[in-house]
Amino acid sequence: MLAHALRPSFSVFRPGPRRSAVVLRLPMKPEVLEMNALLGRVASERDRTAFAALFSHFAPRVKAYLLRQGAPASVAEDLAQEALLSLWRKAHLFDPAKASVGTWLFTIARNLRIDAIRREKRPELDPEDFMPDSAPAADEGLVQADDESRLRQALKDLPADQIQVVELSFFADKAHSQIATELGIPLGTVKSRLRLAMSRLKRALGDAE
Amino acid sequence: MIHHHPGEDLLLAYAAGAADEALSLIVSTHMSYCAICRLRGKKLDSLGGALLQELPPAPLGEGALDNVLARLDAVAPYERPIRVASRDGTPAPLRAYIGGDLSTVRWRKMGPRLSYAPLFKRGNVTAGLIKGVPGADSGVHSHHGSEFTVVLQGGFTDVTGNYGPGDLQMMEDGMSHNVVADPGEDCINLAVTTGPLKFESLLQRIAAPLFGF
Repeated sequence: MLAHALRPSFSVFRPGPRRSAVVLRLPMKPEVLEMNALLGRVASERDRTAFAALFSHFAPRVKAYLLRQGAPASVAEDLAQEALLSLWRKAHLFDPAKASVGTWLFTIARNLRIDAIRREKRPELDPEDFMPDSAPAADEGLVQADDESRLRQALKDLPADQIQVVELSFFADKAHSQIATELGIPLGTVKSRLRLAMSRLKRALGDAE
Repeated sequence: MIHHHPGEDLLLAYAAGAADEALSLIVSTHMSYCAICRLRGKKLDSLGGALLQELPPAPLGEGALDNVLARLDAVAPYERPIRVASRDGTPAPLRAYIGGDLSTVRWRKMGPRLSYAPLFKRGNVTAGLIKGVPGADSGVHSHHGSEFTVVLQGGFTDVTGNYGPGDLQMMEDGMSHNVVADPGEDCINLAVTTGPLKFESLLQRIAAPLFGF
């Protein structure tokens, strides 16, 4: 399962010239604001009603994510509960300027899965401990919680065949060659669909190609 | 200044949690140096969040919420682990594997000018540190599988270009190169291979397995 990630030819990334940092500030979606507010209440008041509301919204989505990854139903159920417990424990560390609750929970669930199912560690960045001379990008840290709602809209606008390859690459833990076999399309088509989808999603975030 | 970055697919594999531990160590070590890729990574995390939100919910078992509510009092709030303050130029993700910083690595001599320190091996995948004195060369070799390298100190040059601290090099199955350490300080690299290296020289071919390649 692991080696697949190593086998396909990985592409090379060359950053383009940096554009002037014009960051569009779109208003956050009410849902994102509501989730942030609920988590704020969990952090400051240990508010169980707010926690229950977050649980009802997110736990079934986290479970769905784990099932997509191939976790057995009982494991997905347990890990979804663990992920939400983690949210309770770590609520005071949440920073709405850095990520949305949904993105934060995605990273928690992803790491729980690697830990519990693959029995591996995931080497993580320490957000307060970068190499001293790594100059921050002009807009580092400006990934807004709002990115997620813009991405969700952009996902809805993608053609179905592109959504499919994005989901499979992200969630199914499958090599591109496996995806090609499963969908019965050439490997090149998987790669070009993914590339098209990613460039559309980046445009949604206001990134130049 | 970083010149060599991971491609979109490698970064996606890390964000999605599909990359294995060794490859994740390569990407996170590079990111410790590279603000551009930290930002790229955050955006892919946001994409994970967006995809998760769009999934059709899978209802939990009956009593799941009550079960979790009953456990809330028993869990202690999370506290960040206290960091050993080390600013000697060792990327944070790597420190856990070394068990200290670069100055504490126990090197094994592989010849007069090269040293090696294994970190871990999982199946065919091997992660380790390689050190060469200025001018040292690896000998012409190709790969069964791929080789991923992140420079930690000094630099090296091969047919594909010049690599300095933080730069990530990826050699595909079958590609061949001879790595020469740049002048200046010792070159130290984090290297991950997904299969044994194939050396051209007979002596190296005999010696390679002894060092865990």
